[in-house]
Amino acid sequence: MNAVEIWVTIVMMTAVTVATRTVMLVFGDRIPLPERVQHALRFAPACALTALIAPELLTEGGAWAISLANAKLVAGAIAIAVMLATRSMVATMGLGMAAYLALRHFG
Amino acid sequence: MIGRWLFGRAPAVAHARRAAWLQGLRVVAPALVALAAWGLVTGVAMVKSGLTQWQALGMSALMFAGSAQLASLPLIAAGAPVWVVLLTTAVVNLRFVIFTAGLHPYFRHLPVGRRMLLGYVTGDVSFALAVSRWSTEPLPAQGSRERTWFYLGICSGTWLTWQASSVAGIFLGGGIPAGWGLDFVAILALLALVLPMIAGAPTIAGALVAGVVAVLAAGVPLKLGLVVAVLAGIGVAMAADVLLDRLQAKR
Repeated sequence: MNAVEIWVTIVMMTAVTVATRTVMLVFGDRIPLPERVQHALRFAPACALTALIAPELLTEGGAWAISLANAKLVAGAIAIAVMLATRSMVATMGLGMAAYLALRHFG
Repeated sequence: MIGRWLFGRAPAVAHARRAAWLQGLRVVAPALVALAAWGLVTGVAMVKSGLTQWQALGMSALMFAGSAQLASLPLIAAGAPVWVVLLTTAVVNLRFVIFTAGLHPYFRHLPVGRRMLLGYVTGDVSFALAVSRWSTEPLPAQGSRERTWFYLGICSGTWLTWQASSVAGIFLGGGIPAGWGLDFVAILALLALVLPMIAGAPTIAGALVAGVVAVLAAGVPLKLGLVVAVLAGIGVAMAADVLLDRLQAKR
């Protein structure tokens, strides 16, 4: 993308973001949200973020890379363990990044 | 001067507004450390994934949406089509449709412009803090000045913290060599965000399928594999949801 395209994308992403955050506050009395729809809206972000993260950790150059030599996978696994154990976002990002940098520089 | 502009001229009203606003700030204060770390990381990730400092500043100031910003970075860097970037932004932000639907009863009485402003400044933290506090009380027939200004207090804290820490990250990130691989911090930040979301059998099933399909389709050009993976994940999660309901109905 060139500079103009990136700016246009940023502005359009802003419009999408504002739309998702204001639609129910503006039209809340007129749009019913059945329970099934509410559930679907809750599943969607988890699916999207997982789909985004998984290839970053599990592939290298478009091929499976499940090995201890894959620094991103090992650091990601450490980050997951830290998050599940401590529930601390700061610790997760800090220790995950420390592990990644250490593996890249000394691995 | 600023006080009068913020809270209005009528002394009694201004006093009530200021008190509720300060209370919101007090409630949000403990959560601001984690938010600042998150903003700092987002700032660094934006410039390390290839945005210029001006683009990163613009993205932060306009969007005010950490997860959607971080999610868009690898897509923009990979040259994905704009519609894929926008679709991802929309899906990642879908949780706010539910969040703001939950806030609607409290702000129903306000003019449209005010409601849109309150929606715009809503984030995960502000929603969670406000609703966890209000949900113990019965739903009001009418929103109150105290609630509106309490919420504004929370959101002032999150907005200012987010912008300040992002700006710090953007300038800090500019000074760190690209060879360090600091763009990876965006993935770790998304990981820390998504793990608490993955609760309950339907979401677990959906996330697993989305992850596996995304890896299998990683070689597909233009990140279209991502779109397929997300749709497959949502489909499986919804099917699991229906199935669970049926099983429970039988019992």
